[in-house]
Formats: sequence, C-alpha cells, structure tokens
Amino acid sequence: MFTDRFLRNRRNVSLSPDERGCLEDAVSEVRTIEPRRSLVKAGDALEHSTLLIDGIMSRHIDDRNGLRQLVAIHVPGDFVDLHAYPLKTLDHDLATMTTAKVGLVPHQKLDHIIAQRPQLGRKLWYATLLDAAIHRAWLFRLGRLTAVGRVAHFLCETNARLKAVGLSDGQQFPLALTQTDISEICGLTHIHVNRVMRQLREEGLCIFRSSVVEVLDPSGLAARGQFDPAYLYIDQ
Amino acid sequence: MKNSSNDRQPETQPGVASAEEGLVILDGPDGVAVTMTAAAAAETGANLLEAACVAQKQIETRPSPEAQ
Repeated sequence: MFTDRFLRNRRNVSLSPDERGCLEDAVSEVRTIEPRRSLVKAGDALEHSTLLIDGIMSRHIDDRNGLRQLVAIHVPGDFVDLHAYPLKTLDHDLATMTTAKVGLVPHQKLDHIIAQRPQLGRKLWYATLLDAAIHRAWLFRLGRLTAVGRVAHFLCETNARLKAVGLSDGQQFPLALTQTDISEICGLTHIHVNRVMRQLREEGLCIFRSSVVEVLDPSGLAARGQFDPAYLYIDQ
Repeated sequence: MKNSSNDRQPETQPGVASAEEGLVILDGPDGVAVTMTAAAAAETGANLLEAACVAQKQIETRPSPEAQ
C-alpha cells in the first residue's frame, strides 16, 4: 500500500486498516520523479497534497541571490505538503533530492475525509504537527550546535525517521544525499562537512560512504549531536 | 517552575580556526561554523584584533564602581 508508512510507529496515533484503506483510495495518481526536480514553487496555487512513497524530498527557500536554504527534508511515509490543504499555497519550494515516487491526494478528497472521518482528519493534523516539531529541532540545531553537533544530530534524526518506517535497522541506513546536501541542511560548507565526516569517522561514531551511513556508536553519536528523539514522537 | 533563560552571554572560549583544502574553517564558539577564503580569514582576523584592542581600552578606561 502506498500509505503503509504514513504515521507508522508514532506515539499516540495509529491508523486502522479501514482508515489506511480510505487514505489509499484518496491517492489519485502515483508519479515517479527524477532527482533534483522542482515540484512546487512558493506561491503556486495547489489543489493536491503529496505523499512521499519512496525517495527523499526537500523543502527549501531561495535567497535573493538564488542561493538555496533547505528548511526540511522528507522521507518515505511523509506527507510533504499536507499543510497546503488548508493554506492552498506554500511559502517555500518543494523538490526531489533523489528519484522519488509520490502519490497525489486531491484536496477534494481531503475535504471528504475531514467531513466524513474526523478521526482520520485528526491524524492528518497530527502529521503536520510532526513537521512543526522537526522544524523546531532544526532551528535548535542551527542555532545552538557546533558543526560536528549539527551533522551528528541530523544523522541521528534521519536514522530515527527511517527506522520508524522500516528503512533503517538502527545501525545502518541508506542516505542518497551528497555532502553538499548535508552542508545545506546543516548550514555549513561542503568543505566543513567533509572535515566533520572525517572527524566522526575518526571518533568511531559513524561512517558515511557510498550513500550509506553506518552508525558505529549510536549513543555516542546521539551525545555528540545532543540528539533526543522525543520530538519525533516515535513509538519505542 | 524555573524559567529557562535565553540571555546569551559574551563568549569566553575562543573559536578554533583550521585550514582545509586552502580554506579556513572557524569552529565555535557556541555554534559558529564558518568557512572563509584565506584572504577573508586574514582580514577577519585583522578586524578581530583591532576590535579586541578597542574593547580592551574601553575596559581599561571604564570608570571603576567606587568612583561613581
């Protein structure tokens, strides 16, 4: 099912088979999109929301010189722009970072879900609040952590998010991002990220090689990044 | 309930500068993470030294509490 990973293993929320089926029926179209393709520009009028089935997507804002700042990444199971349903437009751009498979859910179908199935509607709301929690953690990361801390925190967060949807075993996970991507996420240059990755490897915490992150010391990496997964509301 | 404080104090620990692939990386203090060209780093360093001298003079010429 396309919606199988949506809100999987989250605290205080679970979808019944019937609710999951209802959401599945709301997916009107499934598309596969190439890497580094823009899907939505800030200000576009939107009539559907995007469920990420596979791959990694980003939300970003460009400065006046066209330089991009990533403000979120999304992993499989995330509704990338559920907040576009009430807002009808976005204040940022959406793009793929890797090849991505997405399911489009028309807002008319979300209207029906909200009207006919308020409990499921409440769970969709929960999903947007998870996004907000991650945004707060990103603010903390950029505002308070050292370069090493930022990268460690990001890797721990991504590991936890992927583990929740069955795409990491906790010790190793695929991460088809470049060091430049990670530098944008962490507010660093790629040179700095390169040095940080070397440092994390030398400290025996993790290795990032060939699009795979191997977490050698999960608790050590978490401590280095001051990472506490509570804000991800994952059901342990 | 104790309120958390967000009163950022001046840093007392210096940042650490290092060179990597012909660029200067500044780590810290407190979350600063900057990469600069060698020229920009040299000029920043000179600006910092100048400002530090001015700040030191301000400390030395500040009236003592007893005098007020």
